[in-house]
Amino acid sequence: MDLRPDDREEMAETLRAATADGRIVDVRGGGLHSRRGRPFTPDDILHTHGLARIVDYVPDDMTITVEGGVAVGEVLRLASECGQGWPQAPSQPDATVGGVLAAAVSGRRRLRFGPIRDSLLEVVVATGDGRIVKGGGRTVKSVTGYDLPRLFTGSLGTLGVIVQATLRLWPLPIAERWFTARGEAADMVAMAQGVLGDLHRPTAVIVGPHAVHVCLTGVPEDVVPPAGMIEAAEPTGLVVPSDGGVATGIMEAGVPPASLPALARRLADDGRDYEAWMGTGICHVAVSTPADVAAVRDLATLHAGHAQVIDGDEALRGDPFGPAPAGADIMRRIRDAFDPAGILCPGRFAAAEAVPA
Amino acid sequence: MTTSTGALADRLRHLLGPDRLLEGDLARSLYSHDGSIVGGACGLVALPETTDEVAACMRLAHEAGVDVIPRGSGTGLTGGAVPLDGGLVMSLARMREMGDVDVANSCVWVQPGVLNLDVSTAVAHLGLHYAPDPSSQQACSIGGNVGTNAGGPHCLAYGVTVQHVLGVEMVRPDGEVVVLGGVAPDPPGYDLRGLVVGAEGTVGIVTRVLLRLTPLPPDVRTMLLDFLSVTEASAVVQAIIAAGVIPAALEMMDRNMTMAVEEFVHAGLPTDAAALLLVEVDGTAAEVDTATAVVERVARTHGVRTVRVAQDEDERALLWKARKTAFGAVARVKPSYYLHDCVVPRTRLVEVMAAIGEITAREGVMCLNVFHAGDGNLHPIIALDRSDPDETERAMRAGDQIVRACVALGGTLSGEHGIGVEKRDYMPLVFDHDDLAAQACVRRAFDPDGRMNPDKILPTGTRCGEVGLADTQVPEGTWI
Repeated sequence: MDLRPDDREEMAETLRAATADGRIVDVRGGGLHSRRGRPFTPDDILHTHGLARIVDYVPDDMTITVEGGVAVGEVLRLASECGQGWPQAPSQPDATVGGVLAAAVSGRRRLRFGPIRDSLLEVVVATGDGRIVKGGGRTVKSVTGYDLPRLFTGSLGTLGVIVQATLRLWPLPIAERWFTARGEAADMVAMAQGVLGDLHRPTAVIVGPHAVHVCLTGVPEDVVPPAGMIEAAEPTGLVVPSDGGVATGIMEAGVPPASLPALARRLADDGRDYEAWMGTGICHVAVSTPADVAAVRDLATLHAGHAQVIDGDEALRGDPFGPAPAGADIMRRIRDAFDPAGILCPGRFAAAEAVPA
Repeated sequence: MTTSTGALADRLRHLLGPDRLLEGDLARSLYSHDGSIVGGACGLVALPETTDEVAACMRLAHEAGVDVIPRGSGTGLTGGAVPLDGGLVMSLARMREMGDVDVANSCVWVQPGVLNLDVSTAVAHLGLHYAPDPSSQQACSIGGNVGTNAGGPHCLAYGVTVQHVLGVEMVRPDGEVVVLGGVAPDPPGYDLRGLVVGAEGTVGIVTRVLLRLTPLPPDVRTMLLDFLSVTEASAVVQAIIAAGVIPAALEMMDRNMTMAVEEFVHAGLPTDAAALLLVEVDGTAAEVDTATAVVERVARTHGVRTVRVAQDEDERALLWKARKTAFGAVARVKPSYYLHDCVVPRTRLVEVMAAIGEITAREGVMCLNVFHAGDGNLHPIIALDRSDPDETERAMRAGDQIVRACVALGGTLSGEHGIGVEKRDYMPLVFDHDDLAAQACVRRAFDPDGRMNPDKILPTGTRCGEVGLADTQVPEGTWI
């Protein structure tokens, strides 16, 4: 059943009822990041689109408070009217704020501006059992209490529903341009490494199988084409889920940044579609079979990292995360406290081997 | 000392040797305090030197059911390292080893007793630095910085400690050692690393920290602006940022503070100014030129009296010395001080500065202000002589009113010092019952017995509530 609460109280009430009735709930924002984690069968889909109010925007404080169902594009539009931006957000205007936070989806400008978790100042959630809980604070700096904003960033809907978020905004840069060059993979990786070594704080240095894309931000004097590159639009869809196999999906590998060139060269040798965010250690890879998932994870592990399926058909999500991380028992106790009946996306965080109780 | 701590003392002495278990009255008295005015009661003090020793101590404390209070350099300002009711103080001050710098990944593992400034000093030859720079950076430890999620002037542009800690090795309350986070970004699962930073030692003892190192900027310019009114200076803070410039640092000092500092540092500060702004911009040469021009233009349209640009590295260092020795300079005015580090939205700076002035005048106490104006993080320092009970009482009252004024203006309790004991009972001003219960649950998930630095951060009596799900109900094959 599709449930569409209109405000946070209705959201909490809906979750209280689900807890009482033991109904399994999946949470849906823009639906761009819903194909994550091990598949489970929800009784209800809880939509956040009813929570789409702009609660407060104080341009002079560079903070904006919005409900969780507000579209990322709406935040960017409002902010740009005041010369501001949300550079940590992904280029996904139709995704919701709650969705990109719950899935911890950082944008390509991460190299200069950091991951999305750094932009979340205060979060209000409706817990699995229908309590409204606030964490963090609306000021740009706060160490007041335990860091619930970071806990909820990346919690994939397993702790509660993000009903409101206060985000830190940044001034729009005086200049920002994308540049590109095309060529063989090894040359592209080398060119990217050159840009990383030569320039102070580039905004993005992205390598794909046959191209490199660089974003520079700042004053016009600095935003000029790196050697051998020409101006181009921000790339879109470098990693398109392949339809050549039995399924479509994308994995995100995280490896030590210095290992990314080697990983990228290897992915190119293997003929895979990928998008390596040089300097950050993040790499998106197209996969189409469970064997692909295992192969990409093996490669990431070989490079002292990890890899998870961030978008994929159910067939690709039998083991979406790999081995359980350290502290899984702590995570489990946190989840028990926020969702005592286990109705929110149960089983989503799956591992090859279950942790002994 | 209770029987359980007596038996524990024997086992700890056996483990560490008599030199590294402090049991005497003097030591226990010293370790009952930190940089705050909070005092407590210390049972035992252990001085471990390795992760294995910390783990062994923690296992013994776990078996004895004794509270554990982690401690770094003891420079904290909120009583976070103060043992309130006996217990075992674990001083990490002897764990001062720094690992090899991973230049390719710009990071380094360090032990918690390493001092903040020593990290930047050790990596400067590589063109790197550790960005968070609390004013106490010559004395405060990385472990303490992790505990409080410390800030510093340059956090305005660079971010606070949690943004510079890639991973931690932590000994859990039962002695198990875990590594959370690491050099590979975004490991699967909840961000426990993010929860440990800022948890003030209530979830475990951090025994190694993986610090992100940041390239030194190619160019930097430091400016001192002076104003005849605090209101003008506050307005300039707002206007600089509204003009699209996020300086590397943007600090304010009022006249009382300027006078105390100038007497101490002789930096040529204008002691007749009502307020000074120390503004630093960094980046490429073109970025620095552009930002400098904006700062000067904004300042001149808002009544700045003089703009002093540091001409060389020596002058820059002198201006920063003036800023960073400010707390110490208070000793020239009164023997002690009491301060809060509330944060207000930047747009409320003018109002909050007026409120602080009124409150301290009404209570008849001397207040010196030196703070991170760019992020609205106040440090109203009330100078006092603690041997004067009446003055102490008035200082406490003023502090209380300042906290309430900040919260009323949409602010919060702490920007970088943490909650500790001192601000613990103010938590209900910003969080309701359910909010606090949720935080208690997070804490309990790490420390089910509640033995780690008890009675800090959350008001006494805050409970997680009953949680019913048994581990067996977790769906098979899942870890959460």
